Amino acid sequence: MGNAKEKALEIIRAYDGPHIRMMEVCGTHTHELFRLGVRKILPPQVELISGPGCPVCVTGPGFIDEAVWLALEKGAAICTFGDLVRVPGSEDSLASARAKGAKVKVVYSPPDAADYAADHPDEEVVFLSVGFETTTPSSCVALKSAQESGLKNFSLLVSNKTMPQAYKMLKGSADIFLYPGHVNAIAGNEVCKSLVSQGVSGVVTGFTAAEILTAIAISLKKYGEGKPFFVNAYPRVVKDEGNPQAQAIVDKYMEACDSEWRGLGLIPGSGMKLRDEYAAFDARKKFQVPPMKGRTNPACRCGDVLQGRCRPVDCPLFGKACTPLKPVGACMVSGEGACSAYYQYNE
Amino acid sequence: MNDRVTLAHGAGGRQTAELIDKVFKAHFSNPQFTSDDAAVLQMQSGKLAFTTDGFIVSPPFFPGGNIGKLSICGTVNDLSCMGAKPLYLSCAFVIEEGFEMAKLEEIAAAMEETAAKAGVRIVAGDTKVAGKGQVDQLFITTTGIGQIQEGMDTSGAYAKPGDKVIVSGDIGRHGCTILLARDEFGIDADVTSDCAPLWANVKAMMDVTNDIHVIRDATRGGVGTVLYEIAEQSQVGIRLDTQSIPVQDGVKGVCGMLGLEPLYLACEGRLVIFALADKADALVEALRGCENSENAAIIGEVTSDLPGHVILRTEIGAQTMLSRPTGELLPRIC
Amino acid sequence: MCVGLPARVMKIDGGRAVVDASGAQKEISSELLSDLEPGDYVMVHAGIAIAKIGSDDMSESDQILDSLL
Repeated sequence: MGNAKEKALEIIRAYDGPHIRMMEVCGTHTHELFRLGVRKILPPQVELISGPGCPVCVTGPGFIDEAVWLALEKGAAICTFGDLVRVPGSEDSLASARAKGAKVKVVYSPPDAADYAADHPDEEVVFLSVGFETTTPSSCVALKSAQESGLKNFSLLVSNKTMPQAYKMLKGSADIFLYPGHVNAIAGNEVCKSLVSQGVSGVVTGFTAAEILTAIAISLKKYGEGKPFFVNAYPRVVKDEGNPQAQAIVDKYMEACDSEWRGLGLIPGSGMKLRDEYAAFDARKKFQVPPMKGRTNPACRCGDVLQGRCRPVDCPLFGKACTPLKPVGACMVSGEGACSAYYQYNE
Repeated sequence: MNDRVTLAHGAGGRQTAELIDKVFKAHFSNPQFTSDDAAVLQMQSGKLAFTTDGFIVSPPFFPGGNIGKLSICGTVNDLSCMGAKPLYLSCAFVIEEGFEMAKLEEIAAAMEETAAKAGVRIVAGDTKVAGKGQVDQLFITTTGIGQIQEGMDTSGAYAKPGDKVIVSGDIGRHGCTILLARDEFGIDADVTSDCAPLWANVKAMMDVTNDIHVIRDATRGGVGTVLYEIAEQSQVGIRLDTQSIPVQDGVKGVCGMLGLEPLYLACEGRLVIFALADKADALVEALRGCENSENAAIIGEVTSDLPGHVILRTEIGAQTMLSRPTGELLPRIC
Repeated sequence: MCVGLPARVMKIDGGRAVVDASGAQKEISSELLSDLEPGDYVMVHAGIAIAKIGSDDMSESDQILDSLL
């Protein structure tokens, strides 16, 4: 009991194989890797790259512009995860819009936003629905309860994303992927397994020190064997089939669409939108939100950072125009963003 | 008397006098409480510490205290951290029109009770009433004078490599309590504010030794913010052992749910102390013998490398920087 | 991308459950998992129980390492 951490550390420290690039796809993994100081104990030939799995980081400025527009032009009460509050839009973030009078309420979950709408019938409540496979079912649960209770003042501004197309795009960016445990808890392991036949190796893992180190140790061992592999190192949470009820509710309310990822560009079929029959809950349709592309600072290299093409310190804005207190790009906003993590932890 | 505060209570006339007599004088009963324009105080020779602090807290009543208790603790603790015995306080109230008189009395009673506990006298005060919506219920500002005790000389600039870092109890309870009391996230936990006056605790440490380099009270920015301030002021590095930082279970649970760092949650009754390594155990012992610091612990040490930084020794034995706070605490899902 | 919190089910009523994590309690949605009972452990994300888990302990990593190496 409890010695997985030590055993895994031993394996990692003893690694004397070739240079290996591992990408942690999930932002929460990035956060934990920095918090635990995992990079500090890795042998020099093991490189960890932070991938695009932070919904805040890949959400473009256009989405923030839409939310700010809804708040300031339509007087909507914006309910959001705390993560999004400081993300820069083209002009304003939600935080700076709040200073101009926008109503921005931080909630713990989408159902809490629906409850808020029920308690405030005189407000038009818009929930900012972001996140990957793990988070999307929660938006759908909120939508279902809003629909069932006949809520008329609740809608979603949807920018949910899915990982499979992104994995394919990132294929060459790393030798091994640390897959996000909680995405697979919902979506299952099918996609990751099928990637093995395309030569993509990976381990799905959890978020404790023991789980993360175990996944890295397994990766190093298996890499030496030379064959592509997939290992579920998180079976206490991740089942092969995922969570079918969660998949079903998402399928009922949402369908796939193309989606713009900050830094990665448009990835066909990588986004989610509400199905037409739920237009009454779609904030874009309900308020006729005009199309917004959003503008980013052209010098910002968040996109390259997200694909592992450059390190945060290689960006000309890093630590100068762009700091956690005054972020230019999204990677500096979220505590789990690669730039913020580099800055905070003085990497 | 009305059961709510009205603008007339702040107009300086008969009703103002009534409010002062019935609420403030009734509670703050001591010979020095002034009826004149200023209190007259007899001072001893030596050095005085003098400080002021404004208090805004929503909600004003919370498990473990209220804004009145808080306003006394804050100023008493600021004085105590300088090795000064708190002597006299003044308090200024800005009250929102319509505030319940019974609540005001409850706040005044808490102030007097806390002041008595800390051995300090409230000697002067002021009351203003602001129109509905111009302030959030009530704001209190307290100002205090204390006598710096013989041989005490502490400052955030005095931390030295080799010093041990002590906290006087489990961290983050006040911030956590307020977060729960606002009921924005629908979370319940058995957490009460750590709000407490700490002069007796400082006194107990002084009975061990006067040679204490730094004493700070961790307030709104939490212990993490205080540590960064000291690391910068003293130009030293601070290395913490994450496993030894005391955090109550309920606080851990709330932080886990919302993705918050306990080191950045507010405390209102916790001291951060830097002292020579060979005195640290005795200081912790002395603190553990006092009310409100039973869970005191050594959480780290001062280093000469990485001046200005707070370093964490993590559970896997690596060292990493404590991330700096970036303004308001926001719960995260990722 | 997804902070998850292991928590113990305290009460269950329809599609709602009260869970406890280290002394913090919160009502969440349990409608995406069938057959939950008080005493079960679940992984919670954004107000939803997303997976039933054996327990909240970490002994699993030991077994995985042993079985693979």
